[in-house]
Amino acid sequence: MADFIKHPVVGLPDRKPDPVIAADQLHFSDEEKKQIQTWISRYPTADGAVMRALWLAQEKFGFLPPEVVQLVADELNIPYANAYGVATFYTQYFKEKKGKYVLDVCTCFSCQLCGGFDMLHYLEEKLNVHKGETTEDGIFTVQEAECLGACGSAPMLQITNGTYVHNLTEEKIDALIDALREDRMPAFTSVTLPQDEDELGGNRRSDVEHTEAYQAGPVSETTR
Amino acid sequence: MSKAGDWRNYKRVLLPPVKDLHKLDVYEANEGYSALREILTTDKWDPTSVTDEMKKSGLKGRGGAGFPTGLKWSFMPPIDPDVPRFLCCNGDESEPGTFKDRQLLEYNPHSVFEGMLIASYAMGIKTGFLYIRGEFADWITHTEAELEKAYDKGYVGKNIMGSDFSCDIVIHKGAGAYICGEESSLMNSLEGKRAYPRIKPPFPAQKGVWGYPTTINNVETLACAPLIIRNGGEWYAGIGAQSHPGPVLYGISGHVNRPGVYEYPTGMLISDLIYEVAGGMRGGKKLKALVPGGSSTPVLRADMIDGVTMDADSLREAGSMMGTSGMLIMDEDTDMVSFLRRITHFYHHESCGQCTPCREGTGWLENIVTRIDEGEGNLRDLDLLMDLCSQMEGRTVCALADAAAWPVRYTIDRFRDEFEAKCKPSLVPSGADLVMA
Repeated sequence: MADFIKHPVVGLPDRKPDPVIAADQLHFSDEEKKQIQTWISRYPTADGAVMRALWLAQEKFGFLPPEVVQLVADELNIPYANAYGVATFYTQYFKEKKGKYVLDVCTCFSCQLCGGFDMLHYLEEKLNVHKGETTEDGIFTVQEAECLGACGSAPMLQITNGTYVHNLTEEKIDALIDALREDRMPAFTSVTLPQDEDELGGNRRSDVEHTEAYQAGPVSETTR
Repeated sequence: MSKAGDWRNYKRVLLPPVKDLHKLDVYEANEGYSALREILTTDKWDPTSVTDEMKKSGLKGRGGAGFPTGLKWSFMPPIDPDVPRFLCCNGDESEPGTFKDRQLLEYNPHSVFEGMLIASYAMGIKTGFLYIRGEFADWITHTEAELEKAYDKGYVGKNIMGSDFSCDIVIHKGAGAYICGEESSLMNSLEGKRAYPRIKPPFPAQKGVWGYPTTINNVETLACAPLIIRNGGEWYAGIGAQSHPGPVLYGISGHVNRPGVYEYPTGMLISDLIYEVAGGMRGGKKLKALVPGGSSTPVLRADMIDGVTMDADSLREAGSMMGTSGMLIMDEDTDMVSFLRRITHFYHHESCGQCTPCREGTGWLENIVTRIDEGEGNLRDLDLLMDLCSQMEGRTVCALADAAAWPVRYTIDRFRDEFEAKCKPSLVPSGADLVMA
């Protein structure tokens, strides 16, 4: 069978894997507990706060191994299976350890046609990894992302479920990697509406330092 | 012919050209929360008349399905003080090609809050959830900060503007699942469950989040509510195409010189949007195809858009749909097989896995289109794909299977020569009946 045909490999997860987070690390601080209680109070049942609590846990521990999911379930007083079901359903919850910075390159739809795959391949080559893999030094994970909702400023990428980098070029990726190696996160960039450029002479927000315009994407060299 | 009238002199209303409109004081200085104030402090309005005004405006949902908003509001059962009811504002914007709600939340978040409050008043709701997709982390932080200011000023919360109307807004952060854009799936996600869509009926108005009456509207739809109350339903109905009126945010992406989010009336000629609004085709290339409203809407060939306007009726006649009005423009060099391959990959990735035809079908679609794209397919595969589409459409709990099948069906139908050129000949000719007598 040709190797491009993808066979889903469905293995049963290990029910009791060895914990990766040390027991003395595995707890929420009082402040975090208070925050979770605030979230719970906003929903009719505690279940509603599970997504927020998992986000908090992921930011704290980096990813969501079973013991962290258990911690969240205990904090919300809901069954482990419910929390685990949610943690494994959504793409942005990391089930395994990732690099310090996860680079999600969008290659979907508009990005595919505006050089998204070129950027992904450039990044793979530059960091010497395939998509889905982490560099040996554990700093970068490169991933292919589904539509991130920034189609006008394609190609683009997202850094660890946070900041968007718009209108990617190879030079921009070079600068980004250098900056991240020195732990300098790029700032939030507001993308200016074309009609604002015409009518207001630029971005409408005065409280952001970095703005960019929507630009015509480059010609795609590869589309897969 | 364009139904947008004098669109070159159109004055924006959803994103009016006001600096720093996202700030509460600037929004207030530009008639912000005046619609809500009028509703709460004058005798002119009661919940029924607000809903009637929405009906009069002819506003159709901007999230993709285009359901009349006023009608949707009127589906809510009569108020029972013992039964809570909820509003959900759907900001899960994940349809490929769509990026308007993110801009609306960044540049005019208070209009969304005001719209949510007006909707809550009209339906007797005390809690509104604003569901924003998890990828928009920066915009969630931004929206939360603005919401807090609205709370501090007493526009949201208890006894708003001294009236007996109280309403809370809760911002819910998603975590990356396209399926959450489907309303019943969004409700399960809110409840802290896996985001599996629910069977309808019961519809959300009867049995929604936590089993209580619920209404779900798109971000842009709700942002229209303050405009309608302030200026009247008739004013709104007079903008753009008569049967599908209002201002709309067009998200134009792909091979154009000036992509971006543009606000214009509905009923714009597609050719005007490409060649005048978005600055024409990149590099002076020829237009080959376009997707009018996100990846689920059928693709249109360049020769199919003559005189077609961006409204439900015109696009239906042309063989597509309005969707989310996130338009993808493709030039003559685009490989339609590769293009379809990436779309099928998207739906395979995003199928929630609840219904077999979708879970398995999307994978089959991807594998077969990939095989053709790699030059390993044969002509019978095209029949197989069509057959598969028929087996998926309308056979699942939600419309994701349909949304996955339509691009395949229509891209092959409308660009068949390109697919055939990549296929090897089959032993049995394409279209022939395999069952031999």
